[in-house]
Amino acid sequence: MSAMPVHALAVNKGFANDTEAQARFNAARRYLAWRKRLLPLAAGIALLIIWEAGVRFFDIKSFIAPAPSAVAVVFVEKFSILMANLWPTAVEAFCGFAIGNIAAVLLSTAFVYQRTAEEAFFPIAVMVHTIPVMAYAPILVLLLGNGMEAKVAIAAMICFFPTLVNMTRGLKNVNPQQLELMRILSASPREVFQKLRFKNSLPYLFSALKIAASTSVIGAIVGEWIGADRGIGALIIQATYNYNSPLLYATIVVGAALSGTFFATISWIEQRTLSWNVDETA
Amino acid sequence: MTIQIAAFENPRSNSDTEASAIDLRKVSVRFTTDRGTVTALENIDLSVPIGGFLTLLGPSGCGKSTLLRVIADLIAPTSGNATVLGGSPSLARARRDIGFVFQDAALLPWRTALQNVALPLEVGGISRPGRRSPAELLALVGLSGWENAYPHELSGGMRQRVAIARALVNDPRLLLMDEPFGALDEITRDRLNEELLDVWASTGTTILFVTHSIYEAAFLAERVLLLAANPGRIKEIVPVSLPSPRRIALRETTEFTKLAGRLRAILETC
Repeated sequence: MSAMPVHALAVNKGFANDTEAQARFNAARRYLAWRKRLLPLAAGIALLIIWEAGVRFFDIKSFIAPAPSAVAVVFVEKFSILMANLWPTAVEAFCGFAIGNIAAVLLSTAFVYQRTAEEAFFPIAVMVHTIPVMAYAPILVLLLGNGMEAKVAIAAMICFFPTLVNMTRGLKNVNPQQLELMRILSASPREVFQKLRFKNSLPYLFSALKIAASTSVIGAIVGEWIGADRGIGALIIQATYNYNSPLLYATIVVGAALSGTFFATISWIEQRTLSWNVDETA
Repeated sequence: MTIQIAAFENPRSNSDTEASAIDLRKVSVRFTTDRGTVTALENIDLSVPIGGFLTLLGPSGCGKSTLLRVIADLIAPTSGNATVLGGSPSLARARRDIGFVFQDAALLPWRTALQNVALPLEVGGISRPGRRSPAELLALVGLSGWENAYPHELSGGMRQRVAIARALVNDPRLLLMDEPFGALDEITRDRLNEELLDVWASTGTTILFVTHSIYEAAFLAERVLLLAANPGRIKEIVPVSLPSPRRIALRETTEFTKLAGRLRAILETC
């Protein structure tokens, strides 16, 4: 954090000397940083307490809405089952993420060099993108069967379109003066791609990858809803049908942790790769 | 900044055929747009001697930038003939005889200052290192110690200095500058004007410099080319006989004020 206008404007008045003012400034900054982290945490705990108290006070049945404590108990008791179901979903989401994004990057690269291909297929891609995942997921299950392939395909589809659109934009939205510079330097088309277009597209790519990190998990779970005996999605369906709400909630916590971790990993890689990109990392 | 004023040596010149750095004969450029054909340049005849400093001054849309782009082989003239350093513009470009400085520095944001200056040595399949290394050029433009800074860490003036260092890395015989200081504050602009004259003195390169500022045009140049708009054409070429080396204080002299007044009077008729 660099921009803190209130403190930047603070006048060194009423302090014995500048060192004291600096110490106060640093202390205030640390306080603000901690406050920013601790406040959401405190609010979260407060909400859980209200939820717990509400369930007890109104004597709500566990299968309608379980108390957080009941969810926590199930989470500990069924930890091995939850983990056993986490892995298939994680693998499907990750494979789908990889396949969908690699395909999108390759196709958008082709679009930059084959304008005819772009003009022919880009509008179709945008149209297919508007079809909800719930609508085309059964088609993929019919095509690919009940195994992991269908789930990977659904996760890949859901990642593919945002990346295709963003990456194509990133490869094309190059500063015209930078392109003129490359021409003055007699750069080959390959050099223009490697040294200019691809680097230019990285911020666009990463914002798509961050979307894809969480949507790939959604894709895998939706795939499992349609037919699977293992995975987060399968566990959600089972728990719902058995009115085992504490297990359902515990499963959702695991699913959220999976997509959260995935998202955080991509953000971390982005910050390391794009340290030059102030707009994105600020 | 230390300045070494060396006699201009031109290793590849065939002095007989290459009397001037730039020779334009009846160059016209027309663009077709939604609103019909625009004549950006009409019948431009221009000759710039080797080692000269010419500024291009004129109202918006008079074709100043277009003229620079014809010389840099970024735009092909619709008709007429352009000769750059004794050959075609594309030959000059392929030989890396042309350095170009854009209005916005056009640095690559993912490269450090030093890596940006070194870019011309990495692309185009011709590495033609100049007499000065990228680090030496950064020092020449007053940026020693900033080698590893990214463009977003540099001020506007510093970015333009990096762009100038990059344009000089191949020892170009011709430096084309398209309103390079247009977006800078006046203090920075004045300082860079002085430094550009130092660079010109120490490299001996031919410079064409497009500007909107009468003072900048008069202060820098040996000759000021005034262009009129619709269609873009040469209005007048005004020789500048101010003493060298020039420092900003020169602008307060009567001689300079008179010259600026004369340029303004011509501009009002453009």
